[in-house]
Amino acid sequence: MKNLHFRYAMRISFDSPVTNHRFTVKCIPQTDERQIIENLVVSVFPNQSLSQDRDSFGNRCIFGHCEMEHQKFEIVVEGDARTGRSPCETGDASHMLGLYRYQSFYTIPGEKINAYFEKFSFSENMNDYEKGVFMMHRLYEDFRYVQGITNIQTTAEEAMELGCGVCQDYSHILISLCHLAGIPARYVVGMLTGEGASHAWVEIYQDEKWYALDPTNNLIVDDQHIKISHGRDYRDCLINQGVFTGCAKQTQEIQVVVEEN
Amino acid sequence: MYDLDLFEHTDTVNELLARYGVKFGVYKNNVFKEQLFPFDAIPRVIEKQEFDWLERGLKQRVVALNLFLKDIYGEKKIIRDKVVPEEFVYASSGYLAQCEGVRPVKDIYSHISGIDLVQGKNKEWYVLEDNLRVPSGASYPMIARELCRRSSPRTFQNYKLEDNRNYADLLRRTMDNVNVGGHTVILTPGRYNAAYFEHSYLAERTGVHLVNGRELTVEDDKLYFVDYSGKKERVGAVYRRISDEYLDPMNFNPESVIGIPHIYDIYRKGNVALLNAPGNGIADDKGIYYFVPKMVKYYLGEEPILQNAPTYLPFYEEDMRYVLEHFDSLVLKDVAEAGGYGVVFGSSMTAKQKEDFIALLKKEPRRFIAQEVIDFLDIDIMEKGEMVPRKADLRAFVLMADEPLVWKSGLTRFSRNPDSFIVNSSQGGGFKDTWVLSR
Repeated sequence: MKNLHFRYAMRISFDSPVTNHRFTVKCIPQTDERQIIENLVVSVFPNQSLSQDRDSFGNRCIFGHCEMEHQKFEIVVEGDARTGRSPCETGDASHMLGLYRYQSFYTIPGEKINAYFEKFSFSENMNDYEKGVFMMHRLYEDFRYVQGITNIQTTAEEAMELGCGVCQDYSHILISLCHLAGIPARYVVGMLTGEGASHAWVEIYQDEKWYALDPTNNLIVDDQHIKISHGRDYRDCLINQGVFTGCAKQTQEIQVVVEEN
Repeated sequence: MYDLDLFEHTDTVNELLARYGVKFGVYKNNVFKEQLFPFDAIPRVIEKQEFDWLERGLKQRVVALNLFLKDIYGEKKIIRDKVVPEEFVYASSGYLAQCEGVRPVKDIYSHISGIDLVQGKNKEWYVLEDNLRVPSGASYPMIARELCRRSSPRTFQNYKLEDNRNYADLLRRTMDNVNVGGHTVILTPGRYNAAYFEHSYLAERTGVHLVNGRELTVEDDKLYFVDYSGKKERVGAVYRRISDEYLDPMNFNPESVIGIPHIYDIYRKGNVALLNAPGNGIADDKGIYYFVPKMVKYYLGEEPILQNAPTYLPFYEEDMRYVLEHFDSLVLKDVAEAGGYGVVFGSSMTAKQKEDFIALLKKEPRRFIAQEVIDFLDIDIMEKGEMVPRKADLRAFVLMADEPLVWKSGLTRFSRNPDSFIVNSSQGGGFKDTWVLSR
């Protein structure tokens, strides 16, 4: 168990003023069986009109609207997290999970992933969790972490073909493989101890419990991860989405700091 | 049995229809073209007793479909009890994860349903498909009846039939039933939509605003109509004639410029009603169609009154065997397509086409359904002054207000091509009024 302090900051700068800006942000960690979130402070700019709710996956969202001209959009989420309180999270009954059992936009396998999956041989007594861990180990050996080759639009199959990528790609491939093995799996966005950007990993389902695996680091999630949201793939966990009127170039900066208290 | 006075006015009625702008747009090869919807004056006549029976069957079917939608986006009992295999739900493009756990006002999902039926030579009715997203078509028989009454009032003295001009009242009742406070509006994608005539006609007849996406705005978790002067008025119900995909760029297709950002988020909070509910595509999926009679039994504990056309799911081994053995007598439909596209007849394929198709069928069995070709009861149309038989279907409209309501009329579409079974207006067919006798 760890007692962590986190600060997630995202800023978009527009090079000319925009108006009628509408946005949805999903970057607020919630208390669950694994983590307790305390002293949460969320600040959003512009903040004239804000409201919140949970999406269909249970993630907290903030909705906002700003009609006035502005050139900056900023959100800072800060708080403390007590992590590693449980190795898993209770999930719904199996018949409720179809949503996480089938491939979605980013995880649809093609030739490469299918061929890769076919090479696996699971021993007979392996349960779904063990199969997931087994595939994570294999993926970690066969896939290289390289930044700047893939982007947010890269699908699991494309990344597999390239043979390298970042946390988003590791996660999509592992989800795709889990689905091929008939294991419900979902995409998780969160933060990892240290400094950097947001992180992505995978949760897999076994006996009405969700277990978290971090394929990028080849580890079973313990107390270094703070979860923000989950969904079928990257699309369901977009940290920030927006539409506005204006003809502006945008530059986005993200800074995540997680350190022990 | 036919009244010649009305037929003499066929041309007048068609001219009036053209003048009123009763057209629909067709996009073909990226070109937008408007076509007239040819009207045939010989009505389809349904006897009172027969329609009473259809009405009971239609209500039963739509009530079951609504319960299915509530279940699929909620407790999923029908999956737990293995009545509908889960892959048919989650592999369908009609299933929208964004709708999980979202409860529409009064749990009504399909407020306006268009159920397509055909009558066989054996006089049996079969449901061909359910349309629970944005079914079009009611406006055509509505205005045709209006114009026929005007051109040939005598005809309507001689026959005792149900007045179908009450569709607007039924629709208004349906919209008001779920309105959470404020105006009711009809949301159109605009002038270039295939069914724009219908949008404007229904707005005119129901007395509600016809609006486009730019005139609606979400503020403080509520929906407002912004008028020409900038004044904002609350909207409590939206009969949206735009598809789920384009409804809200923040929740569905982010590229949509005709939608209203955040409208889905306030809908989820219960602050506006959307007719029909987003996500309904899962219930009118061609693969799910097979299971509708089973849904009636499952949810209502009743025997289904209306039957499906005999349908096979190659997904089931036994059905696959049947389909391969009887390939030439079946019609095959791609579950992802609509509007008469993706429909092929086994008998019309060349040996090579058949071979390719069967290979595809074996590779993706879930993607297709196979149906017996129904020997349609032809109905007469007038062509160059002569009566000729043509294939036709009937789109019946079921509205879910405080109780299910069946419109005592419907859109009868026919194929102008004597060899074609496909009646869709996007494929060049015409339409007729549907008369339901009142005694």
